[in-house]
Order: sequence, then structure tokens, then C-alpha cells
Amino acid sequence: MSEEPKMEEIALIRLARAGDAAAWKSLFDAHHRRVFGLAFRFLGNRSDAEDVLQETFVKAFRGLDGFDPAYAGGFASWIGRIGANCSLDVLRRKKNKDTLSLEDDAVDDPSDGALSANPERTTGNREIRARIEEALGDLSPKQRMIFTLRHYEGYTTREIAGMIEVTEGSVKTHLFRAVGALRKKLSRVLVEDQNEV
Amino acid sequence: MKCKEARQAVVLDYYGELAAAGKKELEAHLRDCRICAAEREETLRVFSLLESNPPAPVPEPDSERVWSRVAFRLTPGRAPELRPAWRFRQWSLAGAALVLVLVAGIFIGRNVFSPPSPIGPLASASGTPRPAAGLKPVLAGHLEDMKPLFLEYANFTPNASASGRTVTIDENLLRALLLQNVLLRNALAKSDPAAAELLDDCDLILKEILNRNRPTAASPVAIRDLIHDRDVLFKLEIMKKL
Repeated sequence: MSEEPKMEEIALIRLARAGDAAAWKSLFDAHHRRVFGLAFRFLGNRSDAEDVLQETFVKAFRGLDGFDPAYAGGFASWIGRIGANCSLDVLRRKKNKDTLSLEDDAVDDPSDGALSANPERTTGNREIRARIEEALGDLSPKQRMIFTLRHYEGYTTREIAGMIEVTEGSVKTHLFRAVGALRKKLSRVLVEDQNEV
Repeated sequence: MKCKEARQAVVLDYYGELAAAGKKELEAHLRDCRICAAEREETLRVFSLLESNPPAPVPEPDSERVWSRVAFRLTPGRAPELRPAWRFRQWSLAGAALVLVLVAGIFIGRNVFSPPSPIGPLASASGTPRPAAGLKPVLAGHLEDMKPLFLEYANFTPNASASGRTVTIDENLLRALLLQNVLLRNALAKSDPAAAELLDDCDLILKEILNRNRPTAASPVAIRDLIHDRDVLFKLEIMKKL
């Protein structure tokens, strides 16, 4: 997952540090999808993810002087860390307000259409997915973030540790707890799913 | 290998993060421990369920809109828009704003709608008082309130701590100033664009000061330069006298 800093990227960062908006736009263009993708996975809706994307690139620009080109994973990893922390902040606030909804963008899911050949199965899948989302929503913000990064985004535990600035051991502990909690929550779904099949 | 370690090893193994030696130990443990073996089966079934029910695909962000907001917030000379974090405090801010509006209303009421003075030619000549004119003393008072804070920053030097000079800020006062600034800016937006423009600059500076403890905050030197670049203190004096 990690990338070495590219020469062209380092040049763009230097220009952006000097206040070159076009250079910052180029970096935005190169990395915004990844930051947005991570935020969307954590938060589950486009609006919050776009807010995080915006906040990430404002914060990153203001903290650009602190970016070291030798940072492990380069600019992509650095901006990913800022994005992850912004997402975590939003996730914590939402968790406190207990308004977390992962179904907001259900209409964006083209797979719903692909499964429409079998309406019963489609409904079943939707229900299962809703149960999965519910189980994910019950995880603590940190567990959810770490599980998402490991399971859906394919980052290694070491990369996650670097990204959110905790020890690898702590990442593993959160990951194990997340899997344990999901197993408990989803065991009934497993039984129901097997009965249907 | 103990049972707890085996449960954790199952997860690491699934993600391909278990070393060969750990794998051998795990397999040996699972051969002897039926409980852990059953638990592994259940864990793998959960992973299989997750794989066969992937989450909704990530949609395309409205990147142009997001970029325009980023550029807006980073462009010098523009007041930053409300940050996402502020939205979560909207209701509490709205409550505080309501209180301020009431206080401002009482103040304006006393100054504008009070019975005309027998010796005040303007008061007796104008039958209908104009709210914009009534806001002038409020604006002057607000600008006067902000001046000491801006002066502190305008005189800031990087080696301030060495010379014993520091900028001390009352956090509550700062928030009150910011809120009052927003209210006045909105109230004067149409009737007094020059004042609104100055209040926009004040808004930007107050927000930078308010966020001063954040890791990515503007430095005191940057805030000082902002005050100088925009001639805020000069404009503030002029506006007070108008």
C-alpha cells in the first residue's frame, strides 16, 4: 500500500509550500479520491466524507511545513493520516450523538441493481448488509477505523500503526477486539443465512 | 500457544500477517484444542459473510466543489467559511446568538427608540429611526472591544517570551467577540458594506486566534502580518469615527 515519495511530488510540495495554488491543486487531484474513499468507508455517507476531504486538504496545506519527504509512505501516507484523524474526529462526534447511519448512500450502490434478478435474494442481501453495517456501527470509532483499514482497504497492521500513530500491538489489539465483536454480532446472521440457503 | 494467542493468530493468518513459525504453532494448537478449532471455523465464516456482502462502493466525490471550498479557505483576503466541526455546534451557537440578539436588541432599543431628546435636532427631525444608524454605536463598541487584542498581536515579536512579552487571551471573551462579530457582519452586510468588509477581516483574525492551539494553526507572527497586511487597526479607527 505504501508509496515512495516521487520526485515530481516533492517538487509539487515545494511549490505548494511557496504558495503555488496550482501545485496544491495537482496534489489534491492526485490524492483526493483515496482520502475521500477512506472517509466514505469510515463515515458511510458522501456529505461527511466530502467535509473530511475538505478539512484534510486545508489542514494539510497549513501543516505543509511540517511534512518531511522522508516520511514513511510519503505524501500519500501523510495525507492519509490527516484524513484518518479528521474522519476519527467526525466518527467520535457522530458516535456521541448516536446518529451514525451507513444507509445514507444506499442509492449509490449499483450492486443493488445487479442483484435485482432475484428480488428475494436482493432483499436478503440488503438485510444482511444492514446487519453488517449495524455491527460495524457498534464498534468503537478506533476499532471500526482499524478494522476498515485492514479488512476493506488492505493496509497492513504496521501501515495502520504508522498512519494513526499508535503501536502495532495496539492496532492488533483493536483488530482482534473488532473481529471478536463482529463474530458475536454476526453469528445469528450466519445461522439465518445458512438456513435460507 | 495458548487459546487467546491462537484466536489472535487466526485473525492474523487470515490477513496473511502470520509468520511461518506462528502458522505451525497455530496448526498444532488447533489439532489439540477443539474449542479453538470450532472458533476458527466460525471466524472464517464471518469473514466469508463479509466478503460475500461487500459494502456499498465508494461514489465519486464532487471534487470541483470540494476544491473550490479548499481554495476559498486558503486564499488570502477571504474569510474562511464555517468549518465542518462548527456544524455540530450550530445549535449551541444559535442559542448563544439568540441571547446576544436579545441583548443587542435591548441596547439598540434604548439608543434608537427612546423618546426624542428636546435638544436633539436629529432625533426630533427624523420621524422613523433607521436600524443601521442604531447599530453604529454597537459597531463602535465592538471595534473598541477588539482593539486591545489586535494590538497585542500587532506588536508581537517572535522572541516575545525572551523579552517577557506574551499575548494573554480570555477564551470566553474571544468567543463572545467572534459571535458578536458574526452578528454585526450579517446585520450590516447590506446597509454598510465597508463595515461588513472590515468585520470579515476581523472574523478571519479572530478565528485564527481562536484556533491558535491547534497543530496546524497560524503562528502569532502570521496573525500579526495578517493584521498589518489588511490595515485592520487603521480601518478600525476610521470606522469607529464614521
